[in-house]
Amino acid sequence: MANLNIQSKEQRTYEAIVIGSGISGSWAAKELCDLGVKTLMLERGRNVEHIKDYPTTNMLPYEFEHRGQIPQKIKDENPVVSKCYAFREDAMHFFVKDAEHPYVQDKPFDWIRGYQVGGKSLLWARQVQRWSDFDFEGPARDGFAVDWPIRYKDIASWYSHVEKFAGVSGNRDGIDTLPDGEFLPGYDLNIVEKHFQEQLKKTYGNDRHLISARCAHIHEARPEFAAQGRAFCQNRNLCQRGCPFGGYFSSNSSTIPWALKTGNLTLRPDAVVHSIIYDEQAGKATGVRIIDAHTKEMEEFYAPVIFLNAAALNSNLILMNSTSNRFPNGLGNDNGLLGKYVAFHNYRAQVSGQYEGHLEYTTSGGRPTSGYFPRFRNVYKQETDFLRGYAAGFSASRGVRPNTEGIGMDLKNNLLNPDQYGPWYVGSHMMGETIPKESNYVALDPNLKDPYGMPQLIINVDYDDNDEKMIKDYQEQMSEMFEKAGFTNIRVNDDHRVPGLDIHEMGGVRMGKDPKTSLLNANHQLHAVPNVYVTDGASMTSTSTQNPSLTYMAFAARAAHHAVAESKK
Amino acid sequence: MNRRIALRHLALISGGLAFIPSCDFSSDDILTAYENLKITQSQKQLLGDISNVIIPAGEIKGALDIEVPDFILVMVDDCLDTDQQQLFTNGLAAFPDFAKSAGSNFQKLSTKEKDALILAGQKLEGDDTSAGEQNKAISFFLNTTKRFTVQGYMASEYIQSEVIPYSLIPGAYNGSVLISDIQKPRING
Repeated sequence: MANLNIQSKEQRTYEAIVIGSGISGSWAAKELCDLGVKTLMLERGRNVEHIKDYPTTNMLPYEFEHRGQIPQKIKDENPVVSKCYAFREDAMHFFVKDAEHPYVQDKPFDWIRGYQVGGKSLLWARQVQRWSDFDFEGPARDGFAVDWPIRYKDIASWYSHVEKFAGVSGNRDGIDTLPDGEFLPGYDLNIVEKHFQEQLKKTYGNDRHLISARCAHIHEARPEFAAQGRAFCQNRNLCQRGCPFGGYFSSNSSTIPWALKTGNLTLRPDAVVHSIIYDEQAGKATGVRIIDAHTKEMEEFYAPVIFLNAAALNSNLILMNSTSNRFPNGLGNDNGLLGKYVAFHNYRAQVSGQYEGHLEYTTSGGRPTSGYFPRFRNVYKQETDFLRGYAAGFSASRGVRPNTEGIGMDLKNNLLNPDQYGPWYVGSHMMGETIPKESNYVALDPNLKDPYGMPQLIINVDYDDNDEKMIKDYQEQMSEMFEKAGFTNIRVNDDHRVPGLDIHEMGGVRMGKDPKTSLLNANHQLHAVPNVYVTDGASMTSTSTQNPSLTYMAFAARAAHHAVAESKK
Repeated sequence: MNRRIALRHLALISGGLAFIPSCDFSSDDILTAYENLKITQSQKQLLGDISNVIIPAGEIKGALDIEVPDFILVMVDDCLDTDQQQLFTNGLAAFPDFAKSAGSNFQKLSTKEKDALILAGQKLEGDDTSAGEQNKAISFFLNTTKRFTVQGYMASEYIQSEVIPYSLIPGAYNGSVLISDIQKPRING
């Protein structure tokens, strides 16, 4: 019996364990495997194999019973996830249903999750703008959160590293706030977007820009993508179904199969992580305790290095649930700040309008991206009564609309011969930086459990006065820019969405220089337990205005190399 | 989709076992295919007639030819909330009398009269009286039927494969296409 246990323990021992198979976890695993590290990747959801497990990917519109719409019963049962724009009939199987993983909303928070191998990398919006020092230096300059322990120079080469492999299309725009990267050819803006771009230059000089947003799509055939089994993006815009071409970056199409090919990766789906095991005598983490999603049995795995990449709030949850005599309040939580300083991106406001120019033109075909408006507020100095600023998405579109008036043969002929072009429609949405605060936090509920017996997460996150001022400024500024560009029928909107729907929740296990005020050091190691690395959204000290995934990839790759270098010391 | 195939199978099986009652369209059995709706076979037929007025057959098939009424009922059954379902079925139930008030049984009206009746019904406005409630239900029923007829027709296999073929791969983006350069095919319904 004793022998069996020893053998079993050996079989369950690896050189590294990565918790989570989404964007950041799969990058950590890929790098570790490339460096020869025998790695176990734990994923709480089911396995999703590239192509094979994309059941809707080649379905035609009429093959969806409700033509894409979510049935009322499912909406009623899932008030949270139903609010997500991508929760539609073609991709609903990749989202977590509300009852699967309940949580406590001390304040309203729409927690959107994807529990499967690949996580939300199947569902993301694929926008990959680099951060700059205007972002990394933000907290120190403006006196909030704590100073980031790293700067752009620490991460620049890792951005390049992940961009080359993931495939990033974009133009070298030469903008201070948005450093250029390793780009495949960018996608074109259309004629009205270019008009807006020119008008901005004319009115605001070099202060405000519109660019073609950099996106994680393959826009040029290269051997490094062929080696991954990935091909040119076909502009299908059906990404959320999983792409049979591997045209965009997902863990499933790229990093996971790559890591498996090295022979160093063991993938274990259906493993709900309970906690990280801490050995008090050794003074380090020694493994991970999981609950089998089917049998509900506990199992342990061991490794000298552990990467925690469970997605921002779940990484918080796991650390808080990893208690020991040494860490009664959660692993690495000596200062009581674990779970605090959670922040997100403010997407509440939109501005739309029409353009009556260029009426002789339209567009054809598809593209996987649109326009992007980098932050211009408070960049070089503080100039408004709110801190930080916002980026914005922008696009112009025009299509033929059939005349649906009336009934009978006229209606039928109008439907089959749509030839009435409307005006150009222009639209923009804000992506505002929110300020991490101690009062925006997550914690464990002392009583409520989820279906696996894990404590439920309490989420207590809200907007503040800074966000309200920023919304107003975005609405005013974007309206003014629209007016100056000759757009008409301008409408501003505040959809009053609650935090979470941005799916950019960050923080709770923030990086910093000082163990008294942060959880992670400059290398993403827990100050108090250096063989545990956290490289997903949980690690973020501040949020910037850029979509965060590219930065998680770069962080994970960088930390994986650090861990291997440490192990060789 | 699966359910519809299953229903067809069920019809085949039950038709073999008990052919007479299942094919007796004059009987008003409630259709079991739609869990949340109480719709009879004759009501479904009426719905079919209405959809056929909204998008009639011609050189190109019409709504009834490609089973759009079934799509309408699937959408009402699955994608509307309880209040909307009630309004829809009330409107459908009230429609025959509304037609009679225009002179005759709906089926016996001329095409022009049917057109006029549906257009008038779509514009009915409701109030709190019982007649007003009925008007509200009729206009909701007709407008919903039109919306789902257009959707079900345009997003049908027939239209998207034989008439205006849909492509999963739309081609590379061109952000400045001269409209005058685009060839417009004329499709005659």
